[in-house]
Amino acid sequence: MVKVSVRYYRIKNKLREKTLGLAPVDDDQISFDDELMLKATAALEEMAEDYPDWVSGLIDQLADVHRRCVDTPEQRFQHFEQLHAIAHDMRGQGGTFGYPLISDFSDGLYDFTGVNTSTSDKNVEIIKAHIDAMRVVIKERISGDGGDLGSQLKTGLDAAIKKYA
Amino acid sequence: MSNIDLSRVSVLVVEDSQFIRSLIVNSLRVMGVGSMQSVDDGAQAIDFIKLVDNDPMKAGMMSIDIIISDWEMSPVDGMMLLRWIRRHKDSPDRFIPFMMLTGYSEPKRVEDARTMGVNEFMSKPFTVNALADKLFAIINKPRQFVHTASYFGPDRRRRPVPIEGPDRRKLTYDSPEVEVVNG
Repeated sequence: MVKVSVRYYRIKNKLREKTLGLAPVDDDQISFDDELMLKATAALEEMAEDYPDWVSGLIDQLADVHRRCVDTPEQRFQHFEQLHAIAHDMRGQGGTFGYPLISDFSDGLYDFTGVNTSTSDKNVEIIKAHIDAMRVVIKERISGDGGDLGSQLKTGLDAAIKKYA
Repeated sequence: MSNIDLSRVSVLVVEDSQFIRSLIVNSLRVMGVGSMQSVDDGAQAIDFIKLVDNDPMKAGMMSIDIIISDWEMSPVDGMMLLRWIRRHKDSPDRFIPFMMLTGYSEPKRVEDARTMGVNEFMSKPFTVNALADKLFAIINKPRQFVHTASYFGPDRRRRPVPIEGPDRRKLTYDSPEVEVVNG
């Protein structure tokens, strides 16, 4: 008796039945409703307009946790964890809504607040530099790479990191 | 033309960013998805999947047809969730279609997700058209599942590709080591 080493499972396509019914339909005759797609695209675009407001709330949270880093240095480890979690929520999304600089800065903050980072006063200042840069991006609505202003922000943040590192 | 009607479809959305989650859920709702549940991370997703299996009335969902999950989450990320669904003995449906969302789409990541048995991979920024394309593939172009010693998931060959040079494959569908299960 030969041992079976590969199994192929060909399962009945219940999803197709649920979405298209039981009547046979040619593959090239199947599509989503154009009108629904337009509505969904419009709804997504409308919601995306709220991105700066949403991210402003997260920047406020970062600033609040930063203040606590200053006020209660003995609890910095927990504060850094909070900063790390908020930065995680922000990174990888700015680009989706036209603000890649937010992704860049939150990515940097995420890396910078990882478990191996020292919770020194200097590093707390570097965190503040990240938050300040993000705030400028949103306040000035700096979309895309931000041109000269975007370059200045990046250069300024790099300078702050070098100064305190 | 036949339009896809999603009103009888149930989707579980797993995404830790409240903002992104609301974007996905709202887009699905406008596209006509009938039933949705959203959770914050893979651990909550596993709890919900078990609840639907054990007590669908309490879960408010009779079944889960499709899972759309972010990759980067804590404590249980999208890959861990996918692994649980495809390989864990407690998984109630190891064949459930799984769409992975991520902000990072390096080839290595795509390969890792394929190896874990993902059906579709969608990189952010996500658009309604991209979401529709992936749903279309899941609904209309499902792949057979393959179970070997090292892999369980959708067939990674989406379509027959002509082989250049000698065919080194040792097994065919007719080999005694191969079993085809129709269900």
